[in-house]
Amino acid sequence: MEPFDNNCTLPVVPGQPVTAVVQRIEIHKLRHADNLILGFSIGGGMDQDPGQNPFSADKTDKGIYVTRVTPKGPAEVAGLKMGDKIMQVNGWDMTMVTHDQARKRLTKKKEDVVRLLVTRKGLEQAVKNAMM
Amino acid sequence: MERFTDMEKLRIFEDLNMMYIRQIALSIQDSDIQKKIDHEIRMRDGACKLLAACSQRDQALEASKNLLTCNARIMAYMSELQRMKEAQVMQRVARRSSESGPLDDRLPCKGKVAISDLRIPLMWKDTEYFKNKGELHRCAVFCLLQLGGEIFDTDMVMVDRTLTDICFENTVIFNEASPGFELRVELYSCCSEDDCSAGSTPRKLASKLSSSLGRTAGKKMRAAMDPGACSPISNGGGATLLLPVSSVPGPKYHLLAHTALSLAHVQDSFRTHDLTIAANEDCSFWVPLYGSVCCRLASQPKCMTQQVMSGRLKVKHGNDSQSCTNVYGVLKGTHLFCYHQQQDMDTNVDPAITIGINKETRIRAAERDPHSKAQSICISNQYGGEEVTHTLLTETRDDTQHWMEAFWQHFYDMSQWKHCCEDLMKIDLPSPKKLAPLTPKQGSLYHEMVIDTSDDIGTVTDILTRQIQEWELRTQLRRGAATPPAWMALFEEEGSPPTTPQPIPRHHHHHQQQLLRSPASPLLSPGRQPGRCGRLLSSQVSLTSDSDSPCSTSPCSRHYGWAADPSFISPSLSSSSSSSSKTRFRPRTLSLDAKLSSLRGRGGVGGGGGGSGGGRVIQCSSPPPTMTSSSTATSSSSVAPHRSPALATLSSSSSTSSTSSNSSEGSSLGGPEGDTPFARPTGARRSLRNLRSKLDPRNWMQSQV
Repeated sequence: MEPFDNNCTLPVVPGQPVTAVVQRIEIHKLRHADNLILGFSIGGGMDQDPGQNPFSADKTDKGIYVTRVTPKGPAEVAGLKMGDKIMQVNGWDMTMVTHDQARKRLTKKKEDVVRLLVTRKGLEQAVKNAMM
Repeated sequence: MERFTDMEKLRIFEDLNMMYIRQIALSIQDSDIQKKIDHEIRMRDGACKLLAACSQRDQALEASKNLLTCNARIMAYMSELQRMKEAQVMQRVARRSSESGPLDDRLPCKGKVAISDLRIPLMWKDTEYFKNKGELHRCAVFCLLQLGGEIFDTDMVMVDRTLTDICFENTVIFNEASPGFELRVELYSCCSEDDCSAGSTPRKLASKLSSSLGRTAGKKMRAAMDPGACSPISNGGGATLLLPVSSVPGPKYHLLAHTALSLAHVQDSFRTHDLTIAANEDCSFWVPLYGSVCCRLASQPKCMTQQVMSGRLKVKHGNDSQSCTNVYGVLKGTHLFCYHQQQDMDTNVDPAITIGINKETRIRAAERDPHSKAQSICISNQYGGEEVTHTLLTETRDDTQHWMEAFWQHFYDMSQWKHCCEDLMKIDLPSPKKLAPLTPKQGSLYHEMVIDTSDDIGTVTDILTRQIQEWELRTQLRRGAATPPAWMALFEEEGSPPTTPQPIPRHHHHHQQQLLRSPASPLLSPGRQPGRCGRLLSSQVSLTSDSDSPCSTSPCSRHYGWAADPSFISPSLSSSSSSSSKTRFRPRTLSLDAKLSSLRGRGGVGGGGGGSGGGRVIQCSSPPPTMTSSSTATSSSSVAPHRSPALATLSSSSSTSSTSSNSSEGSSLGGPEGDTPFARPTGARRSLRNLRSKLDPRNWMQSQV
């Protein structure tokens, strides 16, 4: 069902580092009363069943994926898309974390801005095209 | 007189033990065992020294495991020596009393026994599993497999609560097993946490401990101090008697569970066996075992794999006829193969006659035929109710005797090895395989990566920013004349410029098809972006089937669109645009072609991710996602300008189920191919539902942040 399948990115070979073309997304959290909200939902994690992830190309991928983006929320405004895989948050790796750890890294009260590195299908292809 | 400390005493005992062992070995005068024992003792010394010198935990665990294995092997050799010594003594006694008669007992043949794919299921309690605080409780485990005098250990596996089973990949083959074998499987474990070592605790940890020692931690500490309390047998069976717990400090393994397998457990497939657990929950090295072990235990008796007997024979045709065929017979496994010639056996030619030999077969030596010198052997088998008899003639009496002896031995072996003789079980020899990825890489990834700042991929954002800026400059310099770089097409929806008129009809047709399929999809109001007429037209066109607007495919308009709002590149993924061909100018790659043609039928759907956005480099990506958001239709445009300057914001649609790409800025429509990569026309509704079900948090946890 993918609209565009580029002979996909992120092949996971055990023992090898995963490389991907990423995009930087800077989300400024929105303060709402006592909470800081980002406006998206995440799914996945080392302790979750990767087979249930509808966005991953590789069904053994236990990474953190964006499952929903609140319309007009800070995440959407910053350019996050549903289906994006989050690779890093403010420098912290998100490819090998549990779900809870991921959530915590995104919701630190002291941080107003989170800079994410995300990857999605199509980035690699776009870069290839740009190079040509 | 000096007083020896406990440690010193232990060391002295150990040395004495070693000397004693060596002495016995010498006295037996069996150089084979002597060599083995010497070898093991040397290994043991080496392991002790390594353990003492280790600084890292994994090295220490590995060394400790080797030490335990060496100890076990030495014990095994010791018991064998004892037995041999006893046998010697008994023999001498027997000779003296001259009671010995010829030992008439037939011994069954030996065989190979292989155990592989060991898997021990674990049963973690809920509380363990969801405990988030603190480090994972980890244990190092390995299995010791012993059959007769051979002992093998498996690789060490680290176990923590994320593991549901302990799997040992090793295949262990024992070569000289008798049918009455007993294969002992012992599971040893050792706690792998720093707090457990009573010895040196790092300062940070010590301070943590001092501030709070919870109930479980406290229990663990106590247990760690006194491992012996958990199980009376700490180093495996009687090993403690002769070789006391090593005086070398370091991690110590303790017996966690054991079981013994025998011929009855042999089967050509996986089976589950019960484990006897030798420890309890209070021990530091405890791992919650489910209580069983699964493995594949196979055996190949020698009578099945090797030739038992071979020689020249004559097979009679029928009972009465005198004619016979000269064959070369080979008794192996469950058949007597009769080849025309001896060489046939080596060259894989099929045998002339194959006679089945199994436990139902009856073999009888006939009385010597007075007419001929040869003796005959009759082999009868039951084939489905019918009895078939083959009569074989041998050349001399001795031959007959040998053959009969071979048959008797074979029958005896089959009766001893029972079900292993029905069919040959497969045993795969473990191939010495190293982890494949390790071999090609000598160094780390860094050695292979050549980072040249000029072609560092970096993020798409940077590249495109640069490109856009360059291109903008160029356009400013030469207005209208510049053609946008090939990849710009990415962000525009269009088809081949020159052939404008052609695509339209197709496009319309396409669109109509689409309309039929998704009648409900809200079409964006065409007038969304009043300012951008030229390009918008295209999206409008898509929406209304009757419009014939020039899908502004002219390069100019495209340019315009681009220059006017560099930050806004919308591929108009709308369904309408179907064409979203990635590039206009470049011949497309095969895979893309294939994809597009497969999507041709579907019409386009503006896939589009949520929101305008940032970075959609290419139209697509996430599938239905946009479906869910809905109503963001207009939002996209408004939010659009915002973006990270860099990226071409492909505002893809955003709108959910709408098939039109709301992104609007789509440039020209009407690509030649009426397909869109996004094709997801009506699939919209369906996919929306699918996605909702897939994203059900009951199946796969999601958190809102």
